[in-house]
Amino acid sequence: MLALRATNLTKQYGSKIVVNNLNLEIKKGSIFGFLGQNGAGKSTFINMITGLIRPTSGSFEILGATSDSLKDVRTRIGVLPDYSTFYENFTALDHLKYFSKVLGLKLTTDELKEVLRDVQLEDAMNTKTKNYSFGMKKKLGIAQALINKPDILFLDEPTSGVDANSILGIHTLIRKVANEGTTIFLTSHNLDEVEKLCTEIAIMNKGTIQTRGTMDELRKQHQKSITVYVKHGMINNEVQHKVENDLSKTMRVLGVSSTHSEFIVQNERDIPELNKYLVSQNMSVYRLEVEEASLEEIFLNLGVERTA
Amino acid sequence: MFAISLREFKSLFQSIRAIIIIIVLFGVTAGSAKLVSQFKSELSRLGLGDNAYIIGLMLLLFLAAPLFVTSISHSSVNKEMESKTIRFLATKTSRENIIFGKFLGNMSFWVVCLTVALLLIIPFSKSFYFVDLIQSIIFVSYFIGLSLFLSTLVNNSSMTMFSGIVISIALPVIGMWSLLSKNVIVDTISYLTPYFYYTNENTSYTYLVLIHTAAFVILSLIIFKRRDL
Repeated sequence: MLALRATNLTKQYGSKIVVNNLNLEIKKGSIFGFLGQNGAGKSTFINMITGLIRPTSGSFEILGATSDSLKDVRTRIGVLPDYSTFYENFTALDHLKYFSKVLGLKLTTDELKEVLRDVQLEDAMNTKTKNYSFGMKKKLGIAQALINKPDILFLDEPTSGVDANSILGIHTLIRKVANEGTTIFLTSHNLDEVEKLCTEIAIMNKGTIQTRGTMDELRKQHQKSITVYVKHGMINNEVQHKVENDLSKTMRVLGVSSTHSEFIVQNERDIPELNKYLVSQNMSVYRLEVEEASLEEIFLNLGVERTA
Repeated sequence: MFAISLREFKSLFQSIRAIIIIIVLFGVTAGSAKLVSQFKSELSRLGLGDNAYIIGLMLLLFLAAPLFVTSISHSSVNKEMESKTIRFLATKTSRENIIFGKFLGNMSFWVVCLTVALLLIIPFSKSFYFVDLIQSIIFVSYFIGLSLFLSTLVNNSSMTMFSGIVISIALPVIGMWSLLSKNVIVDTISYLTPYFYYTNENTSYTYLVLIHTAAFVILSLIIFKRRDL
């Protein structure tokens, strides 16, 4: 079942194409991470899907509704837009009361307080938002996106400008919401965050999707090398030199010492060969650790500059 | 839609400008009615009858309603676009609901103000001018529609304030000028102002102003639906 399908979606401002014939399908229940440098078109894509801006061409379907019938599913969508401010003289609670009425929901004050508690704003729920910090406003932005318990939640940079402790809280909340069945569409400059949270990731560059898949799929596609760390039994200098000389012909040797060694291989198939060679040299291999590529490495391998 | 209109309605009562307008509106209405009540017999002899009690209010509306309305409603849409608060609304409800909500909120404010103003006359006139209330609401609705249109058309709220003031001065001038002038251009433009309909002997013409109001609201909606927020 699909939560979202975009077909040839394009947004053009004058001669500048911000989103270029983008095709994307997102399964229900997934946490989808959308990555890309500033100006890659991530926010423009979200803004088109959520009805904030009009696509130049192409179409999309969200929860079964098309761009023309978006109003039918609006109450099932939660959105934290990329840039937005609040009514200065409203408190957090006033905002949630107002937005819930705009959505046509009849929520009690206790239910709204519960949402504010989830984003750790309970202590400031009666403070006017003009006195809020950037991070607090971000949390309120997340809270307002959650009041309708959406089936699909769009979070554009949910943790930018938020303190480290609160980031952990937001991550827990995102996982909780996803576990309840909500599809989450997340953009972030924090690659670690995307790697930890998302079940599927797409990397966008110059208005198009450069690559997409699960983290494992991305590694398979784009990991250029694998670092292998080996803890082994004591070897003398002679063996150390031999191992270094022999292996440097087929792989990069980062170092060979008396008890542990480190190598860089090109693909997974080289790892058993490496192990076989070490054993053939009468080395006792105690532990063999493979360091997989991080999302940052994949990002860089794709030639996409990290601008965050 | 009603949540948006209620918020708009409440926020209008909270602005200093609106409070000043309410004070002027109520002050002039009650003051003029009191003045008229002192010359009741003279006015009766002149054939002005009971309608004289609302002269103050009507004159004030005729001359200052454009300024009153545009000064408090000129930024009802573009201010939210500038601050980006509109993005929260536009992801929660349709654009039709936003425009109609804003219009209804502004209308409600003026309906309440004008009703109260006419209620203030009752102690002097001993009657409530219902038809005049409807006509004054229609008259004000023209400017509410116009303000909404400007606020949707122009992104900058300072610019709509400026253009609102210019239009507020120009419209009554054109309206009055057309009464005296035989100039074709001025006459043609006057059809677009409410003054032409309100100075016509046939009072039922005043209801035609509602067509202008509807046109402004529909144009605002068309523009707003095409806007990237």
